[in-house]
Amino acid sequence: MNAAFPFNPADYFTYVLDQEIRDAGMPGGYCGLALQLGADPDLDSLQRRLDLLVERFPKASARIEQQGKRYAWIPTGNPILLECHQGHPDKNSEEETRRILLEIFNRPESLPLTLHWIATRPGGTLLLNWNHPLLDARGAKILLDFLASDKPESFKESPSLINAKLAQWSFWKKLQLLFKAKRHNDEANSLDSCLPTQTEQGAQTLNLKVRRFNTEESKHIAALARKYTGLAGRTLYYLGCFMRAMEQVGPPAAKAGYCVPYAFNLRRQNAPTPVFGNHVGCLFARATRAQVKKRHGLFEHLLSQHTKVVREELDLAYLPLMWLGQWLAPARYAQLLRKQHSGGELSSLWFSDIGDLSWGQKGFLGAPVTNLTMMCWMPLPPGLALLVGQLDGRLTLSYSYLSPAVDEVWLDKVMAGMDAELLEFGES
Amino acid sequence: MKEKLKTFIFSELIYHEDPSSFGDDDDLLEAGLDSMGIMRLIMFAEKEFGVTLPDTEIEPDNVQSLNALERWIKQAA
Repeated sequence: MNAAFPFNPADYFTYVLDQEIRDAGMPGGYCGLALQLGADPDLDSLQRRLDLLVERFPKASARIEQQGKRYAWIPTGNPILLECHQGHPDKNSEEETRRILLEIFNRPESLPLTLHWIATRPGGTLLLNWNHPLLDARGAKILLDFLASDKPESFKESPSLINAKLAQWSFWKKLQLLFKAKRHNDEANSLDSCLPTQTEQGAQTLNLKVRRFNTEESKHIAALARKYTGLAGRTLYYLGCFMRAMEQVGPPAAKAGYCVPYAFNLRRQNAPTPVFGNHVGCLFARATRAQVKKRHGLFEHLLSQHTKVVREELDLAYLPLMWLGQWLAPARYAQLLRKQHSGGELSSLWFSDIGDLSWGQKGFLGAPVTNLTMMCWMPLPPGLALLVGQLDGRLTLSYSYLSPAVDEVWLDKVMAGMDAELLEFGES
Repeated sequence: MKEKLKTFIFSELIYHEDPSSFGDDDDLLEAGLDSMGIMRLIMFAEKEFGVTLPDTEIEPDNVQSLNALERWIKQAA
C-alpha cells in the first residue's frame, strides 16, 4: 500500500497551481464533471465499483508527499465513499442541484477524488470531483466510463505519455525544444493581458453559471466554427468569441490584449488508458485588443497563430520546459507560469474544452445522461474559467467564477455577448 | 504513404482496438480525429512527404479517410 507514484511533469504543473489556489485561502485545484441523470443509478453497484477502483488503481485514494525536490502520490488504501445528498423536495431541482454542487465545491477538501449523488427526483446529478494533479479532464471521462463499464477489467493504467514522449528525444532535441518554448513563453509574456477582475486577494467563493445550447443552435455554432476557423480550429472559435465578448463589455482590468492558455492533450482520442495522470502540454491563444475588434480578422489571426505553433513544434516544446520545472519550488514555478514581464497575470481566462461526450443509449449504469456541467477552481486573477463540452451534440458552456472578485452583472453581459458571438447575431 | 499515415494516426492521434481492421475508406472523423489531431496530421504529412497542404483546403473531403488524405497529398505534390 505504500508504493509511491511520482508526479509526471504535467501533474507537477497542475500541483503548483493547486498550491497557488490553496495559498489564496481557497480549497485547491479541484475540478468537477457533473452528469444529470434521468433516473437513479444503482447506488450499491456504484459503491462496489468505487471499491474496485481503489483496488485496481491505488492512486485513486492517495495523499501527496514531497520526496526530495519531487512530489508523489502515496496510496492510503482508504475507501472512496459515495456521498449522497438530497435536494429540497419543494424547491426547483435545477436550483437545488446548483446550490449543492457549489456547497460541495466550496467546502475545504483534502481527498484527491470524491463522488457525489445529488438526488432531485426524478433522477439526479452525479458529480465527480477531483484534484487536478491526479488526472486531467479526459481522464475524468475515462474514470466515469470505468465506473459504469460492463468490462472494468479492460481499463488499465499505463506510463505517463509525457515521459514516453520525452524519452523519444535526444538531449539535443530536448534542448532545441526548450529554447523554442522559452521564446514562445517570452512572446506570450510580452503582451499585457486584460483581466476579468482587478481584485488580487480577499475571501472568495466559487460560483457557477451554465449556458446550454440546443441541438440546432449547437449545429449552427459548429458550422460557423468551421466557416471561420476551419475544420482544424473549433477551440479557437470559442476562444475568439470569448475575447470579443469580453472586449465589447469592457475588461475590468484593461490592458494590451488577451491571452488564453489552452491544453494540448497527448492522449489518443477514445483511448481507455491511461486513466490517471495529466498528459497535456500548453498552448496560448493571444490577440491584441485591436485584433479582437475585427471578427473575421481575429479568427484568421488565431488560426494562423495556431498553425504556426503546430508547424514549429511549439505544442511539443512545452514538454521539456515542464520537465525542467519539476525541480523548481512550487512558488517559484507558479511565478514563472503566471507572471508576465510587467508583473501582471498572464491568463485572461482559464479554459478547457473536453470535446464531444456521449453515453449513448446505454446511459450511465442504465440511467440516461441528460445534461452536463463542469466546474473548476482557478487562481485569482483571473478568477474566471470557461469550460466547454458537448453532450450528444448539444454544446454546454460552464462558467466558474470567484465571488466577489468577478462582478456578476459584468459576467452576465459577457455571457450574453458570448452567445451573440457564437451564434453570429449582429455581426459587424 | 497510406501505411505511414495510418501508423501515425493510430499511434499518436486515435485509439483503435484493431487498427489493421480500419479500412482505407473508413471515416477518420467518426473514429475520433478532432481539430487538434487534424493539425498534427497535416504537419506530419507535410514533413514526411515534403508537400505544402494549403490551409484553405483543410476540408472534410480531404481528411475524411486514408484514401482521401492520400489523394490530397498527391495533388499537392
